[in-house]
Amino acid sequence: MEKLTAKLSESILDKLSMDFLRNQVLKNAYGNDDTVIAGLDPRILLAWYLFFGLVPWFVSDIPFLLGCFLLVMATTLLARVAGLVLFLFALGVFSQTGYLFVVTLLFGGDASAVAPLLILTLKVATISLASVTVFSGLDPDKLSNGLMWYGCPERLSFSISYAYRMLPMLMEEFQNVLLSYRLRGNPPAHETFGGKVRYLIYQVKIIMQSFYPLMLNTAKRSRTTVEALELRGYRYAAVNKSVKKIKLAALKVTYNDGLFLAISFLVVAVAVLISTLL
Amino acid sequence: MNAVEIGGLTYTYPGVPQPTLRDISLQIPKGDFLAVVGNNGCGKSTLCKALNGLIPHFITGTMEGSVRVCGLNTLEYDVGVLAQKVGYVYQDFENQIVRPTVLDDASYSCLNYAFPDYLERGRAALKQCGLEGREEEYVWQLSGGQTHLLALAGAVSLRPDILILDEPIAQLDPMHADRIYAVLRDLNENHGKTILVIEHHTEYIADFCKHVMLMKDGQVRWILPTENALQRVEELEECNIFPPQVTQAAYGLRKGGILPANVPLPTTVADGEKAFAGLRYIPREKPAPAAPGGESAVSVQNVSLSYRSVKGEPHTVFDGLDLDIRKGEKVALIGSNGAGKSTLMKLMVGLLKPNAGTVSLFGEAIGDKKAEDLSRQISLVYQNPEEMFIKDSIRADIAYAMEVRKVPEWEKRTAELLERFRLTELADRDGRLMSGGQMRRASLAIGIALNPGILLLDEPTANLDIATRREIMAVLSDMKDIIQTAIIATHDMQLVCQWAERIIVLRGGRVVADGPRDEIFARADLVEQVGIRPPEIFTMGQALDRRALCYTIDEFLSSFQEA
Repeated sequence: MEKLTAKLSESILDKLSMDFLRNQVLKNAYGNDDTVIAGLDPRILLAWYLFFGLVPWFVSDIPFLLGCFLLVMATTLLARVAGLVLFLFALGVFSQTGYLFVVTLLFGGDASAVAPLLILTLKVATISLASVTVFSGLDPDKLSNGLMWYGCPERLSFSISYAYRMLPMLMEEFQNVLLSYRLRGNPPAHETFGGKVRYLIYQVKIIMQSFYPLMLNTAKRSRTTVEALELRGYRYAAVNKSVKKIKLAALKVTYNDGLFLAISFLVVAVAVLISTLL
Repeated sequence: MNAVEIGGLTYTYPGVPQPTLRDISLQIPKGDFLAVVGNNGCGKSTLCKALNGLIPHFITGTMEGSVRVCGLNTLEYDVGVLAQKVGYVYQDFENQIVRPTVLDDASYSCLNYAFPDYLERGRAALKQCGLEGREEEYVWQLSGGQTHLLALAGAVSLRPDILILDEPIAQLDPMHADRIYAVLRDLNENHGKTILVIEHHTEYIADFCKHVMLMKDGQVRWILPTENALQRVEELEECNIFPPQVTQAAYGLRKGGILPANVPLPTTVADGEKAFAGLRYIPREKPAPAAPGGESAVSVQNVSLSYRSVKGEPHTVFDGLDLDIRKGEKVALIGSNGAGKSTLMKLMVGLLKPNAGTVSLFGEAIGDKKAEDLSRQISLVYQNPEEMFIKDSIRADIAYAMEVRKVPEWEKRTAELLERFRLTELADRDGRLMSGGQMRRASLAIGIALNPGILLLDEPTANLDIATRREIMAVLSDMKDIIQTAIIATHDMQLVCQWAERIIVLRGGRVVADGPRDEIFARADLVEQVGIRPPEIFTMGQALDRRALCYTIDEFLSSFQEA
């Protein structure tokens, strides 16, 4: 039994390692560029998101919300979102509404509390899943092109894709700095309960301290990047209108986009129909 | 026509009292392949930045004189126009890559300068740089050599007439270094590009460059054809440039009166064969290698390890690896980029856990050890010293591990280590702000602070210029007596030959050869297969006599005499 718990705790720790986090972030950003969702036009998807990210807030009709929820669940599945993101989503939804139900039951409430809580849960879940579909289903480049088409400044869209380009490197470096602490540091013994608490505090402290060398290393690196950006014409592109035109010329609405919108519309229409029939 | 014309150029960085470039006048003809050599801080990089307009448009300061590239006066045109004439690849090239995918990055400049055919230009540049077929890959999936080629493609895509590369092969294994230079030669000969390289590796200069320019104290000493330039052994050595080993050996023979003074010194192995034809090999008794014995220090048994990958199947690094390293051995771990050297080291210090099999230190499995004990037994010095600087001064960094373990007299030991590695004067500075050699020394001091029984060094001489490399090599041989067992992962074959007693060759996560240097370098199949390359002087000795196994110039000089 003891062995089993040891093994279990080890595997959980393993799951939460930096390596795992890095892998999940990368998977989320780049691992699903061949899905149906990733193939859609970002402008269409952003417009779609405008509907599913806003409308549920203002409607409290259960069949309609349920219909929307099922739809965005389907799109999330189609986008093949990374496990960690889905886990965070579930945790988020529970922390928003699920615990309310538990508390209601504890204080003598009954099942009648389910209906109002369900509405809130559905709203939150629908909107979150719609966000997950758009922001993790699209690769950062497409997303930033879409935003640019809607008039967001070029600097914002460059920042998004540059951040994603740097992310893997930064995470690897962060991991190495953390490893430096692990190799040279002397963590408190963590056999007893008190020790475990101290160990946790120690680890949090190390993680925070690791940011300091990371920042300095990044600052050192950016000296070259700034010069290179100048040479590569970054500043010229920002003032040249034709560059934006060339960039956005690659965006194209296809048959799939039409189909995607049509199906979404159909699902919403059916949901509204059901709710009027009931 | 001249690609570059400089007249009376003097330049001073803002806030610096002395000018960095002093009264430079020169012409570089179109189609030249020029190597720029000189001491650290002699103004090589500054001169190159004056060619692409970064100086004076982006980096201000006071500039006198005129610089013309392809007929354009750099004062009259902005960086954007000049960047399309002069391509620049930095020494820390990975920082000039700003886009996530390969094709994106290669075509990025063209997009910014509003070329409608930017994708075609990017593709063409990738093809010229030998990265065809990798267009859709992500930049962080590329190896070091491929990343460098991508940085080059990004510069080539604008179709500049001049290409400048700052230390292109400092971080690469010999195979990748050859590829970079093959690409540069192709660009030079078949596409008419003028190429400037800042280069310390004189072997490559001898093989590829047409002219050499020597800079000293912000001035140009001379520009000469390569064969003549490399003859000037004393002048070059004075500036910490070391001519090819063949040339150095010939120079030694000339000084000893064995070669006539009026015959030019050879610069390549092929020239050397002719020049040294009159020499005879004198076989010498070699001391028999000490029989390996003693207890096991590191033992890797049947270890398998795979990484999660972003897509698809996990990537397998090791599958059933067995390895045994005994106490007191000095081991070099070699193999091309990505053969699993760094991963193996991380397994040994317990930073990675194998999926199967065990890693033991001194007969005890790592999993059973406390982290505390582990760090006293084994220590790892990273390839990138910056990642080891976790405190705000070198003194604090060296002291850290001892301080948190409450080692008695840790302050005294810190002072001793600072002294030993000649860092006392720099003790209060942040490690990141020091020079390459100083950073290396500091990282070594941090590595041995706890007096570990086993020391692991990941690429201790990568990214250093030749003079600093020599210095670090001296430090390493000096350390031999204070560390018992040491393992170095490296591409640097001179280091391997001079330092290691046992060489382990990794390829694709498997040990393909294991033995002393005579055994490893005598095997031609390994040289082919793994891309390892013995030092030039060894190849020279072999070309003259198959029995000759010389690893240093001194050994060569004592093994070959007048017939």
